[in-house]
Amino acid sequence: MSGLGDLEREVMAQLWDAGEPLTVRQVHERLDPARGLAYTTVMTVLDRLAKKGVVTQQKADRAYRYAATQTREEMTAALMFDALSAAPDGAARDAALAHFVGRVGPDGAAALAAALKAAAGDR
Amino acid sequence: MTALLLGALGLTLSLIVPGPLARARWTARAPGATVVLWQSVTLAAVLCALGVVLAAPEELVRAHGADQTFGVAALVAALGVAAVIVVRLLVSVGLVAYRSRVRRARHRLLADLLDAHAGLDDVVRVLDGGLPFAYCVPGRSPRIVLSQGTLRVLDTQQVAAVLAHERAHLSARHDVVMESFTAFYRAVPAPLRSRAPLDAVHILLEALADDAARRRHGNGPLREALQALGGPVGDLELEPHDAARERRWRLDRLAPGAPGTDARLSAAIYAVAAAILVLPTVLLVVPWLDRAMHTWPL
Ligand SMILES: [Zn+2]
Repeated sequence: MSGLGDLEREVMAQLWDAGEPLTVRQVHERLDPARGLAYTTVMTVLDRLAKKGVVTQQKADRAYRYAATQTREEMTAALMFDALSAAPDGAARDAALAHFVGRVGPDGAAALAAALKAAAGDR
Repeated sequence: MTALLLGALGLTLSLIVPGPLARARWTARAPGATVVLWQSVTLAAVLCALGVVLAAPEELVRAHGADQTFGVAALVAALGVAAVIVVRLLVSVGLVAYRSRVRRARHRLLADLLDAHAGLDDVVRVLDGGLPFAYCVPGRSPRIVLSQGTLRVLDTQQVAAVLAHERAHLSARHDVVMESFTAFYRAVPAPLRSRAPLDAVHILLEALADDAARRRHGNGPLREALQALGGPVGDLELEPHDAARERRWRLDRLAPGAPGTDARLSAAIYAVAAAILVLPTVLLVVPWLDRAMHTWPL
């Protein structure tokens, strides 16, 4: 994985673990300070994540705070659901992803959604 | 006459051939060649449609001895319809490619962010969650996504077989083949199209990836992985009927004593695929072009 990709994942992990919106400085402090990461780099990464729609920026107390748009569990469930349920139009096989075994049908997708919801609630 | 023959051939290739070809059992022993045969059948059907559109007006003009003006109008109309067919196909290819790219980019991003194995590998991503599944996100920056559930259910050899299967899809760019058939399916008007090529090519590509995986890791681990990953999750039977049928077909190919791939059969299929593309052109289109050169107001 590229250096920036690693950093994006670590920044997301900090936001998820914090459970509340963080400022750039707070994210910077929570990432391993010993590796000499520049403040501006953290800002760039948060900006990129916001552009990609996985992080929101909110202004509070004259400072920008960043929060994940979904919890880790919600994002995992959404990704799995998109990967495993049948193509929305149903008419043509979706060529975007290749699965090791066939995906779940409409009944299975409903059951899967319920199971994922229950699993997310367990945590 | 040329237009009628091309039309009959085109309808045969698009409506009559797909059913029996999709059901044929010998395709399991030559999956790669059969994919090429499907490509040849599909492309030949498109060429026949174009041939009908171009030849029919010319033949009518010649038969009725119409004047120059009518001939020009017929030529323009024929070229217009042919252009519509080609543009419709190209637009469909573009749309399918665009939608795939968007969906893949989203999957790549989320899988990278959620990766529980922290950059263990450039391509493999592991997601939290007990439900066993494995899929790949093709493209120039591909990903293979597994769940923790998959790693729990499968042993190391079986995981290696699954990864080899997915890597075969990625390196052979099976996604491009699948996208072209999907685009073609969507471009054809509803009464003329058939799902058979789409589904048949899909399972043949699975067979090709299975063959690559078993060459590296043997039949056993791959078969066990297929049994474990497609089966019921707890007491939930999630697999739809067509997916269950595909999985059984793949398991049969991997069963002990099942016939392997057949090089001579493959060679014969390649020859048929080439003939389907070349023969109509040589026997019908070239003589027609020869005659048409004298009729068309060029
Ligand atoms: Zn596959």
